[in-house]
Parts: sequence; C-alpha cells; structure tokens
Amino acid sequence: MKKELSSRDWFGKSAAGLILGFLLALGAAGLFKLLAGVGLGGDSFFSTKGQFSMWLMSPIWALTLSFCFLFRSGLRAWLWLAAANVLVWAPIVLSGGLRS
Amino acid sequence: MKLPTDVIKMYKEVHGWVGIISGLALFIAFYAGALTMFEEPVQRWASPPPVLAPAPALDRTPDLIAKVLKEYPEAAKDYDVHLVTDSANPARISWEVHEKGGREHGAGTTYYASLRGDGSLQVETRGPSQVAQLIDVLHQQVGLPFDHEISMPIMGAIALLYMIAIVSGLAVLLPSLVSDLFALRFGKNVKRMWLDIHNVLGLFSLPFHIIMALTAVVFAFHDQFYGAQGMVFGGSEGGRRPPVAAAADGPVPVPLPPLAVVERVKEQAPGFTPLKLSYGQGPNGKPFLRMQGSDLRYGMRGPTFGIASLDPVTGGITGQDYMPGMQDGWSATLSSFFALHFGSYGGNAIRWSYFLLGLGGAFLFYTGNLLWVESRRKKERKAGAVEQTRATRILGALTVGVPLGCVAGISVTLAAAKLLGDGASYGVHSAIYYAVFLLATGWSLVRGAARSGVELSVLGAVAMLTVPLASLIAGRAWYDAGDLLLVDGTALALSVLLLLSARSARRRALAGPRDSIWSANGESNGTKQAQPA
Repeated sequence: MKKELSSRDWFGKSAAGLILGFLLALGAAGLFKLLAGVGLGGDSFFSTKGQFSMWLMSPIWALTLSFCFLFRSGLRAWLWLAAANVLVWAPIVLSGGLRS
Repeated sequence: MKLPTDVIKMYKEVHGWVGIISGLALFIAFYAGALTMFEEPVQRWASPPPVLAPAPALDRTPDLIAKVLKEYPEAAKDYDVHLVTDSANPARISWEVHEKGGREHGAGTTYYASLRGDGSLQVETRGPSQVAQLIDVLHQQVGLPFDHEISMPIMGAIALLYMIAIVSGLAVLLPSLVSDLFALRFGKNVKRMWLDIHNVLGLFSLPFHIIMALTAVVFAFHDQFYGAQGMVFGGSEGGRRPPVAAAADGPVPVPLPPLAVVERVKEQAPGFTPLKLSYGQGPNGKPFLRMQGSDLRYGMRGPTFGIASLDPVTGGITGQDYMPGMQDGWSATLSSFFALHFGSYGGNAIRWSYFLLGLGGAFLFYTGNLLWVESRRKKERKAGAVEQTRATRILGALTVGVPLGCVAGISVTLAAAKLLGDGASYGVHSAIYYAVFLLATGWSLVRGAARSGVELSVLGAVAMLTVPLASLIAGRAWYDAGDLLLVDGTALALSVLLLLSARSARRRALAGPRDSIWSANGESNGTKQAQPA
C-alpha cells in the first residue's frame, strides 16, 4: 500500500521545488529562447522574446513549488525534478548554449 | 471533482501555514495596492494649489523651453513637457537634477517652470505631494520599511507563498465546491461563516489572484532572473543594458516643438492621447524624444500610460515596442502582463473593479488569518488546553493590529498632506504612517485581540474620517476638479464600514465563546472554564 501523503516532510520537498524548480524555470527560459530562435547570449536579453523567456520563469518556478508537495517524499521530489531538469537542459547543453 | 483525501489533508495544512506566514503582508500589499489604482487622483487630491503661474499654451511653450535652457543649461539633458497640467503636474516644463553619486531614487531635485504674466521665467522646486508614492511603495514592498534591494526579495518570497496558497486552497475547496459554493452559512457557527466568505471571495477572484501572484514574482525577481540567464547563457551579464557607444558627429539637430509633435502623433496614432514628452540627449550627445500617453482601447505597459520613442526632428514614431496599438504580438503579450497587474486597460470601470478586487483580496487574507486562529483554538481545546496558547493570542492580536494599523496609518498620512501642505515631505509622510501603524500593532499586542479589535476599528474609522475633515479645513482651492470629491466620499464609506465592524466585534467580545481570543470576558475575569461552543 502506498504511503499517505503528509505535510510533515515539507522541508525536503519545498527545498527541491525552490532550488530545482528555479533551475527548471531557467532551463525552460533557455529552451524557449533556443526554439524561438533569438539565441541565448548576446543582445537577446531585452528582445521581446528574451523578455518573454524571463516572464516564463515565474509560472514555472511558482507552480513547481506549489505542486512539489504532491511527491511521496522529499527524496522523490529531488529525483523527479532532477530528471525533469536533465530533460530540459540536455538540448541546451548539446547545442552548446552554455556560456564557455 | 474528487481528490484523494490525503492530498486534501496535506494541502489543507500547507495552505494554513503559507497563509499565516504571508497573510498580513499580503493584506498590506492588497489594501495599499487597491488605493494605487487611483494613485493619480489621490496625488492631485493631496497636492497643494500650484504656486506657479498658469502653464503657457502649447504654442508658447518653445519660448518657455528657450528661457529654461538659457538659465538652466543642465536641463537640456532631459526635460519633460507636460501636455496636460493639473495639481499633480503643475508645470508645463519640469526637469530633475541628480546630485553626483546620489542614489537612483529620491536623491534628485525636481524643478518646475512656467512663464509669469509679463513673460519672465518662474522656476519653483516645491512640487506635488508625495504621499501617493508612499502608498505605492508600501504596496510594492508589502509595507516593509527597508531599502528596495532588501524589501523586494522578501516581497517575492511572499508572492511565492501566495501562489502556493492559491494552489493549495483550490485543492482543498475543489471536492466540496458544488455544495459549498453558494452556501453562505451565517449563523451560530462563526468559523463556518468565515470559511464560506473566504471560499466565495477566493474562488470568484481566482484569476485576479493568479495574475497578481505570478506578476509579483517577476516584479520581485526580474533582476535575478536576467542575472541567472546571463550567468549560464552568457551575454549581457547581470541583466544590464549594454552602454551605448559612438558619439554623434556634427551639429546637434533642432528638435521639433511640442505642438508640432502632438500633431504628428495625431496623424500617426489616432485615438492615442499623448500626455508627456521627454526631450533630452543621450550619453552620446544624440538628441532623443520619448512620449507617454494613454489609449484605453489597449493594455498599457505603464500603470497609466504607454510609451513610444519618436524621431526628435521629424516626430515620426520610431520605437513601437511599448506603444499601445502598434505593438507586435510579442510586445503586446508582454504589455498585457503589466496591464493585467496595473489595471491599465479599459479606463475607470476597470480601475474601480481592481479597487474592489484589491479590497476583497485584503479581506480574503484577513478572513484567512481569522480562520487560522479559530482552527488553532479547536485543536488546542481538543488537546486539553482550556486557554489559548501564547502564540495563538499573539497571532490573533496581530491579525487585528496589522491590518487596522495599516488602514489607519495610510488614512492619517494622507490627511496630513492637506494639513501640513509643503511641510509634508516623503520622509514626513513615511514617519506618520509607521508611527500610527506601530502604535496600532503595539496596542493590539498589549490589549489582546478582543478589546483592541473594537478599539482599533474605531481608530480606523476615525482615521478614515480625517481624510474628508482635512479637505474641509484645506478648502476648495485644493480641488482642481470636482471628481476629486470621490476620494473623500470613498473614505467616508470605508469609515462607515469600519464602524459597523467595530460594532459586531464588540458584540462578539461580550457574547462570544469565552475561550476564544475574541472574547473580552475570558481575559478580564480570569475564567479558566471553557464554555461549550
């Protein structure tokens, strides 16, 4: 039988949501910029798509933080969110988007 | 909708905790934010009658500009031409001079210029009241008195908690939504009543709250977001714009005078009302011309305006990214985020709606705090305690003291604008607000929730009355338009509401269950016996 959810292990879960959620949001912003074709560095910051990518970070971060309590444990929160990060960051790393 | 019971139970606990941490700060943000919907009228209401000669007509403005630039050459760097003048924008021409090494905000002096009847130049440094800015800053910094750099991340953390509260609150409400939604059970069970009000308020303003939470996260953390992007992706590090290089060659061209600019804008953007032109020179010596104005048919980037850059010589619109109605899809989408937060679309109907939603939001957080205190009471009694613990008593007191202190503080400092006139600087307004706020909060802690609830509601009502009272004392000269009476009327209406709430708080203090922190009996005669509720 599955363990019941509780708010007891909130610290591990919300720490995962806060830290990995932020990285996820950052990666999603990068991924968006890649797909939108504005490029990652250079002058892309204040282009309208660059600004949009920044706005994108707010809902992704805030919602990850809001839903991370649904993980069965703190450890699972860290593992699942780490996996999500790998998925988002892989295309960025593979396309050489990271700052050298 | 069905959700597993453990999910509901878990989110109920999460909702309680994030709510109690962020509730009071959110109350201040929403109450002050509701007032900022009318920041411009409030500023006009609070500003003394202008000491400047009436603004010259637009076709005489080039004369004024020439005289200003001759006597104050430093103004050439950046000066504003106000196309609409009122007591908040008393001068046709104004400019700011920043002291070297001064901070970005507040360290400068603003000069206001007009022409006297004989055509000579008149320059004043006494400007409009800054009390409206104080209310805006209280809104942005959730009432914290610290520097912007310190307050904003705290505000951002509150906004994140707020988003968690929205999601968790929704999860708790969803399963019983259909049966609970239209049920408002006013009756013996006070907690049930507060819960019903809390649910209805929360659910019907849900889109508003989602917008506010997500935009507030951006307003708090945009530097960090851009900074993080710069760190990992490279490019403009730290979110700073790259400095503009290359000085302009040759003589500086003569900019188009204001009247001609207004006509050129009318041709290019019919339906757009230009309000302010900013002439100046960039760091490279090149002249620039920016325009602010409004167009109610579109969402606007600023709280009350959209922005466009113009060609200073031809008056042609060159920068359309923030120009209502001329933006491409991406810019319009970005502007909509700002407009949805600021209520800067659709004119006064939207502003009043946002005002009410803002007050409703503040009330939502207040009821949330009440519910938390009530739940604690039940839990503690089940655990065998006959009196409420100290923590619950303190939180109950703060639930009363902080909101009412904020309400009273803002009212008094607003009224002070009319009573003190030019003596009321930003610092004075801030000191008055925090003095009243801290006094009320301290009072609530000393007297307890039950008694101070009554007393501070009365204080709030009286403070609210000082607003129309100050108007009576200051007289008609302070009104540059009749509709500013709405400021006084709104204060009067809120004062009546506060008196009504004082009355019901009193009733409860005398007749409510004695083990409740809302009972004045339990505390005064030292009864240890819990009454059956």
